[in-house]
Amino acid sequence: MLARYGKLGVVAVLLAAAASVPLFTDQQYLLNVLTMIFLFSALGIAWNFIGGYAAQLSLGHAVFLAIGAYTTIILFTRYHVTPLVGMFVGAVLAVAASVIIGYPCFRLRGPYFTLSTIAFGEILRILLLHYGNFTGGANGLNIPYRGEQPWNLQFDSKASYYWIMLAVLVLFYVLGKVITTSRIGMYLQAIRDDQDAAESLGVKTGNVKLTALMISAGLTGLLGAIYACIIGFVDPGSVASTTMSTQIALVAIVGGVGTLGGPIVGAAVVTGLTEVTNAWLGATRTGTSLTLYGALLMIIVLTRPAGLISLVDLIKWPKKSEKPTEPATEVTSR
Amino acid sequence: MMVQSIINGLMIGGIYALVAVGLTLIFGVMGIVNFAQGELLMVGMFLTYLLNQWLGLGIYPLFFVVTPLCFLIGYGIFRGLINRVIGKPDIYQILLTLGLSIFLINGAIMIWGPDYHSIPNTIKQAAWNFGGFSIPVARVIAFCVAAAMVWALNIVINKTEMGRAMRATAESREIATLLGINPRRTFAIAFAIGIALAGAAGLLMSPLFYVYPHVGQLFSNTAFVVVVLGGMGDVYGAMIGGLLIGIVEALSSVYLAMDLAQLGVFVIFILVLFLRPNGLFGRRTA
Amino acid sequence: MTQKRAFAAFVASILAVALVAGCGGAKKEAAPAAGSSDKADAPKEIKIAFFNPLSGSNADAGKQDLDGVKLAIEDVNNAGGIKALGGAKLSLVVTDTTSDPKDAVSVVERTLSTEKVVAGIGPGFSNITLSIIPLLEKNRIPILVNAISDDITKQGYKYVFQGTPKGSMFGQTQVEFLGYLNKEFNLGLKNVAIVYENSAYGESTSKGSMDIAKNAGLNVVLYQSYPAGFTDASSLVTAIKNAKADVLFPVSYTNDAKLIINTMKQFNISPLVIGGGAGFLWPTIGKEMGDAVNGLISVGSWNWDSKNISSVPELAAATKRFEDKYGYFMTEHAGPEYAYVRMVAEAMEKTASADPTKIRDYLAATEFGGTTFGGFFQPGKAKFDDKGWNASVHPVMIQWQGGKPRTIYPAADATAKVELSIKK
Repeated sequence: MLARYGKLGVVAVLLAAAASVPLFTDQQYLLNVLTMIFLFSALGIAWNFIGGYAAQLSLGHAVFLAIGAYTTIILFTRYHVTPLVGMFVGAVLAVAASVIIGYPCFRLRGPYFTLSTIAFGEILRILLLHYGNFTGGANGLNIPYRGEQPWNLQFDSKASYYWIMLAVLVLFYVLGKVITTSRIGMYLQAIRDDQDAAESLGVKTGNVKLTALMISAGLTGLLGAIYACIIGFVDPGSVASTTMSTQIALVAIVGGVGTLGGPIVGAAVVTGLTEVTNAWLGATRTGTSLTLYGALLMIIVLTRPAGLISLVDLIKWPKKSEKPTEPATEVTSR
Repeated sequence: MMVQSIINGLMIGGIYALVAVGLTLIFGVMGIVNFAQGELLMVGMFLTYLLNQWLGLGIYPLFFVVTPLCFLIGYGIFRGLINRVIGKPDIYQILLTLGLSIFLINGAIMIWGPDYHSIPNTIKQAAWNFGGFSIPVARVIAFCVAAAMVWALNIVINKTEMGRAMRATAESREIATLLGINPRRTFAIAFAIGIALAGAAGLLMSPLFYVYPHVGQLFSNTAFVVVVLGGMGDVYGAMIGGLLIGIVEALSSVYLAMDLAQLGVFVIFILVLFLRPNGLFGRRTA
Repeated sequence: MTQKRAFAAFVASILAVALVAGCGGAKKEAAPAAGSSDKADAPKEIKIAFFNPLSGSNADAGKQDLDGVKLAIEDVNNAGGIKALGGAKLSLVVTDTTSDPKDAVSVVERTLSTEKVVAGIGPGFSNITLSIIPLLEKNRIPILVNAISDDITKQGYKYVFQGTPKGSMFGQTQVEFLGYLNKEFNLGLKNVAIVYENSAYGESTSKGSMDIAKNAGLNVVLYQSYPAGFTDASSLVTAIKNAKADVLFPVSYTNDAKLIINTMKQFNISPLVIGGGAGFLWPTIGKEMGDAVNGLISVGSWNWDSKNISSVPELAAATKRFEDKYGYFMTEHAGPEYAYVRMVAEAMEKTASADPTKIRDYLAATEFGGTTFGGFFQPGKAKFDDKGWNASVHPVMIQWQGGKPRTIYPAADATAKVELSIKK
């Protein structure tokens, strides 16, 4: 029986456990860390649509995050448009940007593609700095604290953000499952395995890649809006930088490129690592957490390129068995 | 003002070229895009700074110590890291060198802190002034040494056994092996040369810049643009590309706006990637 | 199936992080803001939080802030602690905000959740400040910052105090000073070039300078922002040379300041440089240029030898202790931070309470000055207005003389005379 309902049951239990965390603690710091883990997990899932499934390593996703974040803050602080609306405007703009970026970039492969995403990222960052009158320039833009305004996504306690972000994460996960098992998911898989072969089989690789990028961009833009509400402050250096793009990609890569569970594990590890090193070593040995990132990245690439989530495969799980007499076999594929 | 701008552009361009030449060599021979090239420049700078502090030798004499040291470091990095991702899908090498870059920058911060250091020298303010134009001496020296190194590199590539091995391996590893060439060793040497060039660039620039962990980042992005402009793998292309980009940057700061100068460079980058991905000269290897 | 494992791994990771985070201070705070320690149970140790970047690009200034705060804590404790609270000693919770605003939020959140602090000191950087002050307001902990952005006191927060001049004032002071020089020394310098790096500091201080200069009858021949951390000042200096500027108002941090000065020497131009603070004031440039730094003029938010300090023995002694202990003069970052700690200590003495809200009320209502450390701020007093800004403060002009920056203007604060002869 465990086999039939087990999968869903386990997921439900875990979800309930996660959702109840704020009921047991009001340590704002812990809730904040977990919320950021959820946020980066969602960012990783969004990134994976293009970085993992289509195997186009983008190091420019901060562009979409920044567009979402800035749009939301500008609409909210200057035109009093609630972020609940602003986030969709931001997402749409991010999608538009992705078309502009995707069209030229998808002609390129491998490192060329990556370099071009970096270039676009830098272009946006420079523009954000330059047109300071509109974007706040290097001073950035902030959302002043004015107390609890749920309809504007402004909350006093981190618990509210925690639940919102958890819900968004679940949504993204489900969305990811839907997309990867759909036709476009199959096309992406084909492109990842061998783009030329896919092309010759009639897959319109250009369109498929662009669609994947648009989805990825829109979702990232949405997350940018939420980021703006949680952190309350944006400036080009923090949301539109190559560092941010790298962090987003890192989460997915460390966890497992092209998987749905990967980014979650990746976000937990990367964020956990940052918090631990900042807490224990921050005031004494600066730069430690990032040095560890770098080392982690190299180690993953050299030893476990499938990402940390592939470690989970090594655990022997009781298989859902149609033939109860068959011994449990070690799972070898994701 | 135009002439002075062009002179400025050439001077900084020579420096960009030096960083780019190493990068393009590595790509040309083994197909690796080294995202950590800027950081190896930083390593060269730090080495110069430390040796200057410990041994009291001047910057230019240290050239003959730092360059070979960086060659060895490059060789070590190849054997230890890069070797394992040759032939694997692109994503591996991108991530590996990216990880190396992050590791080096922050490792430097951990050891020496993020502070700026500077190497005492008298040349940093010297310049040749004539007819209303100025050319800083340190930049001229860097330019000339860079040019000399590129010229020497070209001789190595075209006239020596090792150079022939590099060209052959760049064309096709299978055929090179058939010819009795050891591809791994060839790669290792090419990589080591590329790193030595980056380290030398760092040394040459130490009179002009502060030495600090992030300094390599200033040059990384531009170096990539230069490499693409000149054609991945084309050493002379990289040199000319470097000069061109330097001039473009100088002229954009004057005629557009100073903080948009970098923008001009990136826009050119995208245009080139899009229109002439094989570089302005359309060649593959030097 | 992957989902099952993914979520299992997910929950496992959460538990791991929770464990770690919990280990870092598992005190479940009921409500950190309402921390009330009355005289009834006088604490032995009172914690003050220090928030500043100690890593990343802004770390060198962050260290100056830290040194100032550490010395202040030492001085208070050596003098017997907070006597009104039974001699309670001050202790410092050092929090590296990193130079990234989103990490700063997390780090500050951590400190506020796990430690019971009565006040926060710093940061010296506007973007970090803006991202964390909502947290302090929410938690009702007073914070005193020495970042200069005008936006800090535009938020309507009650718990945020800015003791230093606003960025928009720097340009005004520079221009006024030029006017003074022109008059005193009959210089007739009219053509000014304003260049600033496109960082938060550069933008804040140069905003409006153009209009200010024009209104003062000056001819602005160049007004340029340049990318912070650029590799080559040649283009900028070429533009300055071309514009034939007599006076240069540059706003830069250390690296760029050095590049600009050296490049101008290379290009053989020597306009009168009236620096915009930051890089032009800190010890690094003194070390870098050696004797050649003497004569360099800059505006600053604070200086160690202004008349209000050098004429009051207790205040001057503090700057001397600083220099003896750390080996460099008390910088414009270190001084105000030192003063803030002393002011918080004073608040606790006078109210005999370590309650953050009472401290905040004292800070908001009091006119500091004279021999107490509120007098550290020129012109010798400090009073926070209803927005939290110290309205009587103004920038000063300094000139490097004998290897240290000396205050030369305005006359009320000056302790040294301008020496134009050493300008090369």
